[in-house]
Amino acid sequence: MTIVLYALQQFVNALSIGSLYALMAVGLAMVFGILRLINFAHGDLMMIAAYFAAFALFAKTPLPLAILLMVGGTVLVGLIMERAAYRPIRGAPDVAALLTSFAVGQILQNGTLLTTRLMQKPVQIAFPSPEILNGVFAFGQITVPRLNVVSLAAGVILLVLLSLFVTRTDLGLSMRAAAEDLAAAQLMGIDINRVIATAFAIGSGLAAVAALLFAVQAGQINPYLGFTPVLKAFIAAVIGGFGSIAGAIVGGYVLGALEVVLTAIPGIGDILPPGMVSPAAQAFLKQWLPSSLTSYRDAFVFVALILMLLFRPSGILGRIEREEMR
Amino acid sequence: MKRTLFAFVVIASLVLAACGGGGGGGATGPIKIGGGFALTGDESALDLPAANGAKLAAKEINAAGGVLGRQIDLIVHDIQYKMDVTAQVAKQFVEHDKVVAVIGFTDTDSVLAAGPTIQKAGLPFITAGATSPKIPTQVGDMMFLACFGDNVQAAAGAEYSFKNFGKNAYLLWDKGVEYTTLLGGYFKSRFTELGGTLVLEDSYDDKATDFSAQIAKVKALPQQPDFYYIAAMPYNIGPVVKQFRDAGLNGPIVGGDGYDTPDLVSVAGPASANVFFTTHALIDATGGTEGIKKFIAAYNKEYGHDPENAFAALGYDTMYLMADAIKRAGSTDAAAVKKALEETNKYPGITGSITLTAQSHVPQKGVTIIAVKDQKFTLGAEVVPDKVPAP
Amino acid sequence: MSLTPDLRRAAGPLAAILGLALALTIVQVSGLAFWQGLLINLGIFLILVVSLNLSNGFTGVFSLGHVGFMALGAYGSALLTLPLREKHDYLPKLPAWLAGLHFDFHLGAFPLGFLAATIVAAVVVSLVALLVGLVLMRLSGHFVAVATLGFLVIVRVVLINADDLTRGSRTFSNVTAYTDLGWVWAWALVTLYVVWRIKRSQFGRAMFAQREDRWAAQSIGIALMPPRLLAFVVGAFFTAVAGSLYAHFITSFSPNAFYFDLTFRVITMLVVGGMGSVSGSVIGAVLVIGLAEALRRIEDVTLLYGLSQIILAVIFILIIIFRREGLLGQREIALDRLFMKGGEAE
Repeated sequence: MTIVLYALQQFVNALSIGSLYALMAVGLAMVFGILRLINFAHGDLMMIAAYFAAFALFAKTPLPLAILLMVGGTVLVGLIMERAAYRPIRGAPDVAALLTSFAVGQILQNGTLLTTRLMQKPVQIAFPSPEILNGVFAFGQITVPRLNVVSLAAGVILLVLLSLFVTRTDLGLSMRAAAEDLAAAQLMGIDINRVIATAFAIGSGLAAVAALLFAVQAGQINPYLGFTPVLKAFIAAVIGGFGSIAGAIVGGYVLGALEVVLTAIPGIGDILPPGMVSPAAQAFLKQWLPSSLTSYRDAFVFVALILMLLFRPSGILGRIEREEMR
Repeated sequence: MKRTLFAFVVIASLVLAACGGGGGGGATGPIKIGGGFALTGDESALDLPAANGAKLAAKEINAAGGVLGRQIDLIVHDIQYKMDVTAQVAKQFVEHDKVVAVIGFTDTDSVLAAGPTIQKAGLPFITAGATSPKIPTQVGDMMFLACFGDNVQAAAGAEYSFKNFGKNAYLLWDKGVEYTTLLGGYFKSRFTELGGTLVLEDSYDDKATDFSAQIAKVKALPQQPDFYYIAAMPYNIGPVVKQFRDAGLNGPIVGGDGYDTPDLVSVAGPASANVFFTTHALIDATGGTEGIKKFIAAYNKEYGHDPENAFAALGYDTMYLMADAIKRAGSTDAAAVKKALEETNKYPGITGSITLTAQSHVPQKGVTIIAVKDQKFTLGAEVVPDKVPAP
Repeated sequence: MSLTPDLRRAAGPLAAILGLALALTIVQVSGLAFWQGLLINLGIFLILVVSLNLSNGFTGVFSLGHVGFMALGAYGSALLTLPLREKHDYLPKLPAWLAGLHFDFHLGAFPLGFLAATIVAAVVVSLVALLVGLVLMRLSGHFVAVATLGFLVIVRVVLINADDLTRGSRTFSNVTAYTDLGWVWAWALVTLYVVWRIKRSQFGRAMFAQREDRWAAQSIGIALMPPRLLAFVVGAFFTAVAGSLYAHFITSFSPNAFYFDLTFRVITMLVVGGMGSVSGSVIGAVLVIGLAEALRRIEDVTLLYGLSQIILAVIFILIIIFRREGLLGQREIALDRLFMKGGEAE
């Protein structure tokens, strides 16, 4: 029985982690689709959002208002970032833009470090998790952390809203047109600056929501927390097909599932109930799939990414031509 | 091209202007002592209080006339809890600041990074809170601890849990750092020796933030453990406890002095109940000893708040211990100070009595077990373990 | 002057080397530890930037993974020179053949052991680079950047998990401090010379040609892979050398020392100096190290930690916006023409 629960638990984990990755990856994919810019500072936007939320909650702001402040603040930072750093280098070679985003990330990280220092706060601060996100939902024998359920729900709702936006509104359609062909879209009279700003704004807002969930889960925040999530989001976007919004969503859930499988299977020999498999099989599992294998997870994920780039560069749903990669 | 050269010259002269040479040590003037602490970075929850404690002690010593008629100049550098920076700071102490002795550090890895340079320079070196009992053999004969070793605290934790919680334990450790790896190993050795069983052993990576994979495995165990022994770093322990409790795992969580950080309670909140850990002293203004009460008052006057944890007291003790040795040595000569340190007999530190010998550079001190109740640290027990695993 | 053109051609570089040697000797003899440390750091970064320039600048195949080679070079060479007692204490689970291996012992005392360890580590790393390059050099643009970033992550994961060899993410310490000014700058000069020669060679021209216009280059018969691979592997070799020098200078490190911060710092130097210019790399390294050191001093006094990184990042962005090709672009400060008469240059 416990092993069934284990599988179920892992399934829920996969869905909720996948939702976070999808929320992050969409922002990366939108900007990449239009500007051919891999915005590595996206992770640092997430970090900034976590700080906005923390300070709002420290000030005893009610949760809905705190979320509003967090999203608003992050969108503002995202827009400033676009205007100050990315607009001046529009049309620069790929790599120059990528490096700029690293530099922007450094500024955000160290700016946060400096600000917290000036405010006499430690580098690492405890995140004031709202009570509503702590604890578990119990369905009979199955208990699911509330946070997982909320992540999943937030992911699905926001991503549905996003797809409605890009398919049903003029601005959304302009955005897709710009992603299809920036120059042509401009000739058709689409206000490119407005479209790009919208992409940054939406991406920042979604990253902010992901940040809140991430911070509650981690329990504490520091200026460097954005690095790992942005790498993951990036992998998700590539797996799905870079530049495609739907691809980023699919990629997010695929990556979530892949990671959970890579962490859930190693060490399985330790927890199988007695009698479920033969002793020989159990000994085999213990020897060859020890839980220490989990720490190779990121390496496996990146190997998968490199294989993807080599053999199916357009991703699961992507539209990038193979020739562009060379 | 000309502009490039111009910029080049400007920067070069900037650097030249910014960097002066270092002064020398000597038989007169202040006694320079290096203090290495991670003022920023992940370990700062322990190192900041330790640095504050050491600075407070230096100030008190100087106000009372200094040592050997000379003032103490405690030179503190930030090691950022990065090993390469730590090694550079050690070099800076030796080559640039020309200190006569070094104190500080609350983490074993940091001491391993700084130690070889300080040992090679032949300077006495006392660590405030790096608890690996292997350090003196790994680093060399100039290396001393002001705190007990991990084998002692792990044995204390194992005996206490075996008696109070039960025979079936779950062991989780951070395999990314030396301290937790050793602590987990010593716990396992003493606990199984007592007749306890580990129902599952698991580990996580350096700086992990998500423990859901480990938690899912505990929950899937056919037989649930009586308690969880988790060897964690101060920057991990809050999230670990929170995530365990969030997942419905409410048994006792036991660990070492890495738990002695305000972050445990501030991150985990009410979830911190039923957590027990071994540490150097309980910093409590009501229940503490006379020495602790005096220390708390002085610390509060200096910094405007109570000491954050036992590491403040360890930093304070370490500074006094070094000053005491220099006084007894009658000079700052390294060999004489080392000899004096090895003759330290029942030095009354506020974290306990410290005795050091030529054979043992690790003091045998009692262990304080703290129980977290209502989001406060309370005294669980003061113990000396019956038997301690070999380092 | 009545020197022959050949002598005049050699006069510039010789004068520079002599000047450098003089300066290094003064610093070495003076015993000013601070300046020795700074110049050793500068030399190590010089090797890193120049060798990174080879692939990223010359061929335009932008690698973010070079620091991974540096890490391998550092760990590899340190394993070969670590004294046996320390090996036994720190790395008890080392395979027997490695546990008994100590180059100083087998090959005669310092300096032979250190030199051999550095070269062996660098050769092994070059072989790794060859394998990695065969796969990754097929990509271009940001895709190669991302794939090589993946390589960096994979190296880190492997180092962290190869506990028996590396102590995982715990501190690897007690490496003997062999590195001094002479070692660093001798290697730096070798690196500069080799990269300079490559730039002036047929391979170098092939590298630049396929960077400027791949299709045009291919259409005149320049194959894509050989120049890219050569640049990647030679770059990895010298990067590993820098890793070995760094390991024997800093003496204690962990995998985190060879990760993103360092990558970004080296890239900043490269971009500031100019991708494709060897002398630009030298200038970039000097400027960034000098500025970082000066800013660090300011940080130490004002306690405004983070300020120096912000200023460096802003400068970086400004350079990309206003002077995208860096200070020198692809141009060189040609030392060999310093003493030549107008008509003699090719």
